[in-house]
Amino acid sequence: MKFLEAHSPLIIVWLGALSTFAVYSILFSENRFYRFFEHVFLGAAAGLGVYITWSQVLKPMWWDKMTVEGLWYWVFALVLGSMFYFTYSKKHVWISRLIFGLFMGMAAGGLFREFAEIYMPQILKSMKPLAGSGMTVWDTLNVLVFYALLFTSMAYFFFSFDSKNRFLARSAAWGRWFLMIGFGAIFGATVMGRMTLFIGRFNFLVNEWLPAVGETWHYTAGKILMLPAMAFIIFLLLRAIKRKRAEKVTEQ
Amino acid sequence: MNATDRILSALQNIDRRILYVVVALIISVPLVVKLDYHPGIVFSEVKRAYDVLEKTPRDKVVFISTIFSGSTQAENGEQTAVIVRHLFKKKQPFVMVSWDQAGNRLSYEMTEKIAREMNMEYGSDWLHLGYRIPNLQTMLRGFGTDFQGTFKTDYKGNGLKETPLGARLKSAKDIGAVVEITPSATLESWIAYFCEPYHVPLVYCPAAVLAASAYPFLDTGQVAGMLNGVVGAAQYETLLDDDPGPTSAGAMSLSLSLAHIVILVFIVLGNLAYLLEKRRKAK
Repeated sequence: MKFLEAHSPLIIVWLGALSTFAVYSILFSENRFYRFFEHVFLGAAAGLGVYITWSQVLKPMWWDKMTVEGLWYWVFALVLGSMFYFTYSKKHVWISRLIFGLFMGMAAGGLFREFAEIYMPQILKSMKPLAGSGMTVWDTLNVLVFYALLFTSMAYFFFSFDSKNRFLARSAAWGRWFLMIGFGAIFGATVMGRMTLFIGRFNFLVNEWLPAVGETWHYTAGKILMLPAMAFIIFLLLRAIKRKRAEKVTEQ
Repeated sequence: MNATDRILSALQNIDRRILYVVVALIISVPLVVKLDYHPGIVFSEVKRAYDVLEKTPRDKVVFISTIFSGSTQAENGEQTAVIVRHLFKKKQPFVMVSWDQAGNRLSYEMTEKIAREMNMEYGSDWLHLGYRIPNLQTMLRGFGTDFQGTFKTDYKGNGLKETPLGARLKSAKDIGAVVEITPSATLESWIAYFCEPYHVPLVYCPAAVLAASAYPFLDTGQVAGMLNGVVGAAQYETLLDDDPGPTSAGAMSLSLSLAHIVILVFIVLGNLAYLLEKRRKAK
């Protein structure tokens, strides 16, 4: 235990690196190494979820209220919460509908508020002045571009009008193009985000794991573990390449 | 098939694993060399975010809401670090909450490490409220009117009233700004249930995937400022310090730019090869 405690930062870095390699091994091909770590992750996340929910939410906010503060009526929270589980009973499913209905009502009420607080200011701010004090030619141009995009994009969603109208049809076509550009920007941002996540893991490997490899090499036990592990990984890689080639030949 | 045809065909059928290796090699350069690089341009939304936190009165508390975990740590972690550094540097008290079970410890340990570096004290300079179930609609309305009733204990299990910072917090009136660090679509809940009703400025720090949809809110002022992914964090560092030196946010933003260039080059090459081959076949 003392060994584990003393070397826990090193072991954590190694486990992190091993998990990273396992997850990214799917880029090469489907494999058991990846599947094993996928299940480890799911199990660990579920276990952690139960522990954190109990220790940070249920215990201080519900259990301690009843057992320490003596507020017995908090037991009704358990009754209300249990009502959700009646969804699994054909006979008593109506009990679950009561609690689901309550939450749906709350969500629907909240949506009215969301509309007022989110979209009303946006509608009002869409009425931009074309000229005014302090506005330059570029500002006016920006506003004109804004109006052009706003009207053409809206025209695309005017389903109630006759689409044979040339002006409306062309506006809708332009609107479709502008919407496509917008979606392209969102997709570009998604690529950027996904790439950053990869860079984050790479940063971990370069700046945390590689120094840890050097540190591990100082220990005899580290050498004994690392050398066969490296040999095993090379063996797996070569075997996978061989299999791929064999599959290709069979396909041909 | 002559040499040109073979090259054109090869360019259109590059094995994806070769592309992965090339991209990995390219992005590793700034991370290994640890270049002292930061973006030369600071977007207006990043500057606005900086100004909001800079102008927040010190007698008010900044509320940092985090919902990220390890999966988006590369983006949201850098954003958290740079915001926390700014607030510590300014000696602005702040409270932090995590709406994610795995991110709870992550955000606490990250902030605790920076606090140790900058000699900041837990409980009086900053406070972590621990994990809370992300039922934002109820939680935001709850702590807007009764902070101590909604968040009874902190990360360590101490009663909120027992800590100097927690005892100060009664309602939304004590909060000077909200920083939302998220990879999820939580923006609209914050606007509808907290920031608009209580007139608290919102600094939005999304993962890059969500940034594009936040621009209409920046235009209307419903979002006061924004840090767009790791690039936003790197830009924010230049506002914090004239010479931030080599930082992971800076290196990662350079890696990102290089990766984009490589992807664009491969897209252009593939399409060029396709068009040239088509032309040759037509002849």
